[in-house]
Amino acid sequence: MSYRPTIVAFLCNWCAYTGADLAGTSRLRYAPNIRIIRVMCSGRIEPTFILKAFQQGADGVLICGCHPGDCHYQEGNYKCLRRFKLIQKYVDQMGIEKDRLQLEWISASEGRQFAELVNNMTKTLLILGPSKIKSSLEVEHLKQ
Amino acid sequence: MEEPRIGVYICWCGTNIAKMVDVEAVSAEVGKLPHVVLAKNYKYMCSDPGQELIVKDIHGHQLNRVVVAACSPRIHELTFRKAVEKAGINPYLFEMANIREQDSWVHTDRTEATSKAIDLVVAAIRRVQFHEPLQKRSVNVDPATLIIGGGISGMVAALEIANAGKKVYLIEKTGRLGGHVIKFDLTFPHLSSARQMIRPILQRVENHPNIDVFLNTEIRDVTGYIGNFKTTIRINETESTELRFGNIIAAVGLKPFDPSKIEEYGYGKFPDVITSMEFEEMLGTGQVLTKYGKEPRNIAIIHCVGSRNKKYHEYCSRTCCMVALKFVHQIRASLPSANIFEIYADMRAYGKGHEEFYALTTHKQIIFLMYDQQERLPVISQADRNDNCNMVIRMNEKLSGESIEVPVDMVILMVNMEAHENVKEVVHAIGVSLCGNQFFIEKHPKLDPVATTTGGVYIVGTCQGPKDIPDSVSQARAAAARILATIATGSVAVEVTTASTNEKLCCGCQTCVKVCPYSAISYNEEKRSSEVNEVLCKGCGTCGSACPAGAITSKHFTDRQILAEIEGIMSMSFKGV
Ligand code: FES
Repeated sequence: MSYRPTIVAFLCNWCAYTGADLAGTSRLRYAPNIRIIRVMCSGRIEPTFILKAFQQGADGVLICGCHPGDCHYQEGNYKCLRRFKLIQKYVDQMGIEKDRLQLEWISASEGRQFAELVNNMTKTLLILGPSKIKSSLEVEHLKQ
Repeated sequence: MEEPRIGVYICWCGTNIAKMVDVEAVSAEVGKLPHVVLAKNYKYMCSDPGQELIVKDIHGHQLNRVVVAACSPRIHELTFRKAVEKAGINPYLFEMANIREQDSWVHTDRTEATSKAIDLVVAAIRRVQFHEPLQKRSVNVDPATLIIGGGISGMVAALEIANAGKKVYLIEKTGRLGGHVIKFDLTFPHLSSARQMIRPILQRVENHPNIDVFLNTEIRDVTGYIGNFKTTIRINETESTELRFGNIIAAVGLKPFDPSKIEEYGYGKFPDVITSMEFEEMLGTGQVLTKYGKEPRNIAIIHCVGSRNKKYHEYCSRTCCMVALKFVHQIRASLPSANIFEIYADMRAYGKGHEEFYALTTHKQIIFLMYDQQERLPVISQADRNDNCNMVIRMNEKLSGESIEVPVDMVILMVNMEAHENVKEVVHAIGVSLCGNQFFIEKHPKLDPVATTTGGVYIVGTCQGPKDIPDSVSQARAAAARILATIATGSVAVEVTTASTNEKLCCGCQTCVKVCPYSAISYNEEKRSSEVNEVLCKGCGTCGSACPAGAITSKHFTDRQILAEIEGIMSMSFKGV
């Protein structure tokens, strides 16, 4: 079977998820290899969620929140940004290329930007190839 | 926990979903999963029969959890929560999968779209098993209302509420009430006086015992939540006062487009090229004169200035065509022999009495010239000394296909209505979102056009998008009615998906206290544990993800629920290689 990158995305309800909905209402087209999970605010996104997605076999994890200054809860996205920087380092240490984890701001009116983002990330993941964590997890599994 | 008995419903949404997603295959596939008692697909789940189907199955099959895969939860989550509640299940034991906006509408491969739908439904099924019943909470509604903007929309809404005996705080940024309408001379299509219409409204607002007007005042910050907002406004240099209110109406209006951005029209360069707003003011003086104090013999009215043009604004301002036709009547009345040119791109006469008004205007001996927005705009230049006019407009006339020159002494630019650039502060204070054109976004474009996604916050008039006076007034009255209804009820249900702490797990680090943007968490020294004030908590979940001890639960977005969703998404087709 040919490689089809998989993206798990976490979107905040107020801007990013609405922006993704707008991409739909505007009938924009983007790669079908993304699955979106809705959280109220990007500030809710925990390292565990991201690691879980990679561990389950995601080739990329995408986080989208409101633009800086636009968070529905004032500053959740700043908290998210700070955490993101740390997790990216951590993920890198684990051998997951850092481009597999992306953070972008998407406003409620940026349907087009969202569609482009998904397509671009898919391209990046195609170049990177399948996430190695999958095969290494399988090895772990065999050892046990 | 009782054993989950889940009912799953896949919506066709007519052909919106069914065309791209094999709904039969989805229901067949997920029907095999553990705990799924039944999986059905139906044409319109949100319709009455669709909701009835759920209610009947809950009773008939003792379901205790429900999943609906349909449109975005932002549209119908509440509808279905109400339906399951009707059948006696806690509304939070429900989950929605978005297979329309985020699947069938954005993908073109039916196989891919179908397997994506399956993954999303599986994720919802996994998640709903960990849902917990949440008890509704309601808060009292402060009967006062804050209205931001003293134009016609804000004033009409204020009167509607004040006449019902409720308090209104009307905030106006400038030094006077009346907005743009007070600057107009006549209105279309009946050519009745705008001033005669708005003056009595203004007087009633100013003298109403239930309305407090604050001029030269801006709203910086609003705290609280539906039913219980508050803000502090400055009365003068030294004094400020705190206002408390249960609901908010934003009626901040818009502003005319600045045509000096369009080089072709030479606005600012030629003194007799003026905007429609400036012409309104001139009409108010009772005389139509050029800057040299002469009666113009040739007047051109250019439509769609800054509108319907990707370079400026792509949208239509909706009122300018009719205002331009109205100008014809007014010019004719004072200058019976002047030549009037309507230079238009398309004539839009969509409203009640508008087409008739257009027909009537065509008998006023005027010349209609059409230009092509996309191709080339008309160009205004200085006339030669021996030309018998002040300026010349060069344009390609679309219907005849000829390039022509139009002699003019005065040009009126029908300027676009655009959003204020400085609304950001208001937007932030009251928690609404802006669309790409910087207009306020309504809760639902068709079914809920005056509410917003923030409870207790309504948008009326042109800040929601360009519109004429009757449309603005309808919105204002609609929002007022909505607010009066909540005031009459006395209380409203509020979000219960707040955070809560587990005393036993809390390590006392107080990280949550620091990250909470609403100061909703405090540390109880005695219990050695953090505590959440559920009234202040808005449920963003930031504390939950920051807590190192796992002592905070974000209700309805718990770790367990989200992790189950991730597992569900990855469990079927979605594994890559
Ligand atoms: S609500 Fe969008 S990032 Fe906080």
